[in-house]
Amino acid sequence: MRKVTRVSAIIDAKDLTKVYGGKVKAVDHITFHVTEGEIFGFLGPNGAGKTTTIKMLNTLASITDGTATVAGHDVKKDPGAVRKSIGVVPQELTADDELSGTENMMLMAKLHQVNGTTAKTRIANLLRLVDLEEAAGRKVKTFSGGMRRRLQLVMGLLHEPKVLFLDEPTLGLDVQTRSRMWHYIKALNKDRGLTVFMTTHYLDEADSLCDRIAIVDHGAIRVSGSPSELKEAHGGDIVTLTLSNETADLTPFFSGIEGVQGVTREGNTYRIKLPKTERALPAIVAGVVQKGVGISEISFSKPTLDQVFLDVVGRSMRDEEAPESDSAWENIRMERTR
Amino acid sequence: MISETLALTFRALKKWVRNPASVMPGLFTAMFYLFLFGNSFNPTALLSQSTGASTSLPTSFGGAPTYITYLTSGVICVILVFNMAFGGIDLVLDRQLGYLNSLLTAPIPRAAIFLSGVAQNLVKVLILAVLTFVVALFIPNGLKLPGSFSIISFLGVFLAFVLLGLGLSFIFTALALTVRSIDSLVAIVNFLTLPIMFMSNTFFPASSFPSWLMDIANVNPVTKANDAARLLIVNGSLSSSQLATYGWDVAYLTVFASLLGMLGYLAARRALRPE
Repeated sequence: MRKVTRVSAIIDAKDLTKVYGGKVKAVDHITFHVTEGEIFGFLGPNGAGKTTTIKMLNTLASITDGTATVAGHDVKKDPGAVRKSIGVVPQELTADDELSGTENMMLMAKLHQVNGTTAKTRIANLLRLVDLEEAAGRKVKTFSGGMRRRLQLVMGLLHEPKVLFLDEPTLGLDVQTRSRMWHYIKALNKDRGLTVFMTTHYLDEADSLCDRIAIVDHGAIRVSGSPSELKEAHGGDIVTLTLSNETADLTPFFSGIEGVQGVTREGNTYRIKLPKTERALPAIVAGVVQKGVGISEISFSKPTLDQVFLDVVGRSMRDEEAPESDSAWENIRMERTR
Repeated sequence: MISETLALTFRALKKWVRNPASVMPGLFTAMFYLFLFGNSFNPTALLSQSTGASTSLPTSFGGAPTYITYLTSGVICVILVFNMAFGGIDLVLDRQLGYLNSLLTAPIPRAAIFLSGVAQNLVKVLILAVLTFVVALFIPNGLKLPGSFSIISFLGVFLAFVLLGLGLSFIFTALALTVRSIDSLVAIVNFLTLPIMFMSNTFFPASSFPSWLMDIANVNPVTKANDAARLLIVNGSLSSSQLATYGWDVAYLTVFASLLGMLGYLAARRALRPE
């Protein structure tokens, strides 16, 4: 497990609060930090306050209360320095349709004061990184949704930022394209040591990508930690054991094994809940064999973040409705993802 | 700030040039006004019918030999006002599609976003204005320039249009950055553009207006731009008294552009504040 210290915090938020119009509290006194070099995820349903938090950290939204520093710069007092240190990949597909991929990159380079040979070299490297070097000469309007997302991902990196903000980086993409995006994000994090702060409402995305996550709901952080820590604390593994012959009830025996959190029995089949299968499984198997009982089938399942979410928030992520396309512009945006 | 302003301006102009459909409507509108309105509304013919004798344009038309000579400056003002007003639609689209946010999270001065909006509209409209001026020369019974009309006269004409365009671009760019939807922008500019045009000497001399309308027209910057441009279009080179009149009009337009520049910048800065 990654050791987190306050000294290396590249994002530090204390009591961060956002109230819109004096009435709507979108983010409610959240405190967290992100360590340099990690992928930190904000996981939560639509309207939980994820995007508002990202907007406060990247200077798009004012901070009603609390403080935040990004790359050592106070977001309230020195937004210009924050902007120089960050890359932002928004939820919307903002690459210009009428310009080519390369032209979009060149424009971003100029806006970030990256010029000449440096700009050309970085553009070539970044396009290669996301496998867009061949398509980059075409107008973006001919790109698929996945290609646009990939282009957008590297458009935020031309000035070599210290922190990359990704707001729902795979929204609207199919499963295969999402998995490719994850590969690119992991590569950026691993190869370039880039700190990534991302929001998502996909549980598998948070699980696969993030070193640490915070589950947010109604503008507040409900729980945070690494995915495995959270699953260990709120989920637990399930071992399903079917015995080959009739025996006395072994529930008391299984319950007595260190670490076991619960046992249920259905005939010869036992479902044993425990925090970490790998630790307790040898003792379970050895105990059963010692009692002279055969095992006809054994399997175990790892917990999912959905279990954690259900435990923490009180409802399943799957119960959440998709965001409503309440305007023509929302429809246009979604159209650009296809 | 200059390099960022130029980068954003070139982005907009590149898109404009690549999409002829966005260039043509402005040009067609100018042509229709000049060719159809300029020929169907013929003050000389109307006067001839009432007096029974052939006549020239009244002196209130500033000595213009043909109505289209008088109208050319007015049509260029129509193009300036309407294209500046509706040119902001691209900026509203940038906001709605999230492009503006990607600029706001980049380390570029807010003023560069505002100034690039101003510059892109000004360049687009001035190109249309020059094309209109050139086409007007080839329309039958169209724009007739005096022999003394020189490149200096041409630059003098367009100085007036640039100052008017600059003022309009400042305020309409700020408006486009302020509103949140195209519907709102269209509603506001529709409300503003026709009064701006009709309360000026764009189509007819203000001397024929009722006094209340004449008072408004005389302080309307569009009237000042038309006055300055027509002075050169009709006379070519100017006498010292005409030069003084031209100078006052240009000074008036400079103050107008400067005031709207300050007002527009303040409004844009407010509109680009964090939400």
